[in-house]
Amino acid sequence: MKRIGLLPIIVMAALGTAAFAGTIHGKVSGVSGESVVYVEAVAGKTFPAPAQHITIDQKGLMFVPHITAVQQGTTIDFLNSDSVAHNVFWPSISGNKKLGHNLGTWPQGQKQSFKFDNPGIIPLLCNVHPEMSGYVIVSPTPYFAETDKSGAFKIDNVPDGAYTVTAWHEGAKSKSNPVKVAGDTTADFALTK
Amino acid sequence: MNGKWLALPFVAVLVVLSLSPSASAIPAFSRRYGTSCTTCHSDFPKLNDFGKAFKDAGFKFPKDDESFLKTPPVLLGAPAQAELWPHTVYPGSIPGQLPVGLRYNTYYQQVSANRNNFNLVLPAGTVGSFIPKSDFQPGYFSIFTAGNFGSDISFWVDDDISVAGANANGALGDAYLKFKNISRLMKLPTDSLNLRAGQFELDLPFSQARSWNLSGWDIFSEANIGIQNGLGPQQNVNNGAAIEDAANGVEFSGGHAYQGYHYSIAVFDQNTTGVYISPPNVSPQNGVAFNSDANFKDLYGRLVYRFNLEKDPASRHDVQAAGTTGPRDHTFLALGTFYFYGRTAQPFSGVLSDGVTPTVLTAREPFYRIGGDVNFNYRTFNLFGVYLAAHDHNLLPVTAPGAAGITGFTPSAAATFSGGFVEADYLALPWAMTIMRWDQVKSTADRVNFIEYNPAAPPASSFFSPYSATRNRFTPGEQFLIHANIKASIEYQIWPQQIVYNPATGVALTGPFRTNALIVGLEFVY
Repeated sequence: MKRIGLLPIIVMAALGTAAFAGTIHGKVSGVSGESVVYVEAVAGKTFPAPAQHITIDQKGLMFVPHITAVQQGTTIDFLNSDSVAHNVFWPSISGNKKLGHNLGTWPQGQKQSFKFDNPGIIPLLCNVHPEMSGYVIVSPTPYFAETDKSGAFKIDNVPDGAYTVTAWHEGAKSKSNPVKVAGDTTADFALTK
Repeated sequence: MNGKWLALPFVAVLVVLSLSPSASAIPAFSRRYGTSCTTCHSDFPKLNDFGKAFKDAGFKFPKDDESFLKTPPVLLGAPAQAELWPHTVYPGSIPGQLPVGLRYNTYYQQVSANRNNFNLVLPAGTVGSFIPKSDFQPGYFSIFTAGNFGSDISFWVDDDISVAGANANGALGDAYLKFKNISRLMKLPTDSLNLRAGQFELDLPFSQARSWNLSGWDIFSEANIGIQNGLGPQQNVNNGAAIEDAANGVEFSGGHAYQGYHYSIAVFDQNTTGVYISPPNVSPQNGVAFNSDANFKDLYGRLVYRFNLEKDPASRHDVQAAGTTGPRDHTFLALGTFYFYGRTAQPFSGVLSDGVTPTVLTAREPFYRIGGDVNFNYRTFNLFGVYLAAHDHNLLPVTAPGAAGITGFTPSAAATFSGGFVEADYLALPWAMTIMRWDQVKSTADRVNFIEYNPAAPPASSFFSPYSATRNRFTPGEQFLIHANIKASIEYQIWPQQIVYNPATGVALTGPFRTNALIVGLEFVY
């Protein structure tokens, strides 16, 4: 009797998830190259931090990859693959200088880890090689995507509802638009420098 | 109000400009590796330890050079061709893009009110030379190209194409091939023997040709011409060579500039007269005149040891020390010595011992320069200095009784000078360096020679008629990197005391005075 009573609940839950999970897709225009699109924080909702670490390498005097999008709470391992010493620091997070941090300097083959608990745009720098540049975009939600070179993106598994969605591109003004997700939803962004 | 303060608004503008935050610098190596000037320079052209290691490695990254190249080299032969040698040309490479950098500088100077004192020696009403209170001046426009051809062969050529002269004095500067680590061919320790051939600045403790100061160190520019008038002990020395002059020859070297030992031994042309010979009866290579003015070859040697005082064990053996704000140069103390041995040749018309038969007699006068240097670095503070002593053998012409001309030479009191400098550089910010310098030259000959200052034929030097045999100069300065490749520099030169004599009587016409100068320089490389 108890088993029969649970089954409808499980079925309903499964159907509910499928029915209310949408997709945001669209295109970021006005800029060329890779952009990041993410759903801003949702009031009253929190998301568990991913356990998996992400790696950003310093190789050939470059941050590889140049742009990395992660969910808030993600730990990033900064690896130095070069035979010269590198430093990693960021002067601010989304312009907030109080959140600036210096990870120090370490030699080839070693790495330093940092958990990014604050969402925002993080410009990565190396004060040994001032030409080196990278970005970490910390999304407050698990709903984010990096565009392809044409600017096209797709964010899956976004529950239906009303959100603020932001598009970011290096050197351009970020743009936030209200987006009402209902199934397969289109959201385009036109950025300017 | 002292006129020097008039320059302050200009200086203030430069300071404001220096606050610009972005940085970009793209001379030859920056382009090749896609990196900033500051990777190798603390305040260009002053090298940091990584820059010294890069230079020592033959203008390469010390390790894994290929992984840093943004433009791969063009192979002049497949590497496997090496296995066929000597039946094929040994494979090498050239940089993937033309490794050319350009540099230009421009100056403004303001000179103190006593700048025209030397016109006092002229008869009343005579129009003399005029030194303006302030002046804008063009500087050097230089082209430099450097890199490596693979197989540990590196090259460097730089030329100040806007002026004549050589090396620290302009025109063709260094132009050489360097065969690095030929020690491996003799199974000697790595980097214990390198060979450099061409024209180069001697391995001075601190490069005058690539000095970061607006004015060079006085002791490196000092020639030794001895006392040339009758107001002091007679000397027959006319050695126009200064240790900063370009040398043409070969140099063997070993070790590293950034750690441990370093030595060099150079054999190069003697040319103490500055005369280049273009004889009609032989055809020198490519029609270029001969550089030597005698058969003798000069010798120069240097030995330095750098003690690593770095306490950070993790990075003590790396090229640079680690720090939370990025690598920095190690704390170190370097002690060095150098020795230059040459010989001047002065030909004279004379007669043989019979007192009648004409002949040419040559006074061959050995000379040496010997010195020591110290270099201490603690984080961004660098204190260094040089002491140098010079000694020129002095052969006076003698005429035998009854002879029609000179018949030989006799040794007399040597012509000497000494001196040096101490300089402190403090890199207060990555873009701002404060400098304090003290230069000293002690030369009795310089003082005596210019008592008879002739306004119709003034010396080429900007400094003459010293008040005493010892000339002291203090030079505080400040340098700002506006960008990594643009620099504004300010020097206030507190010059040695001078005095104006009546050239006919030797009576002093003025009290001692210092013709101080404020120099502002602006330079860029790209």
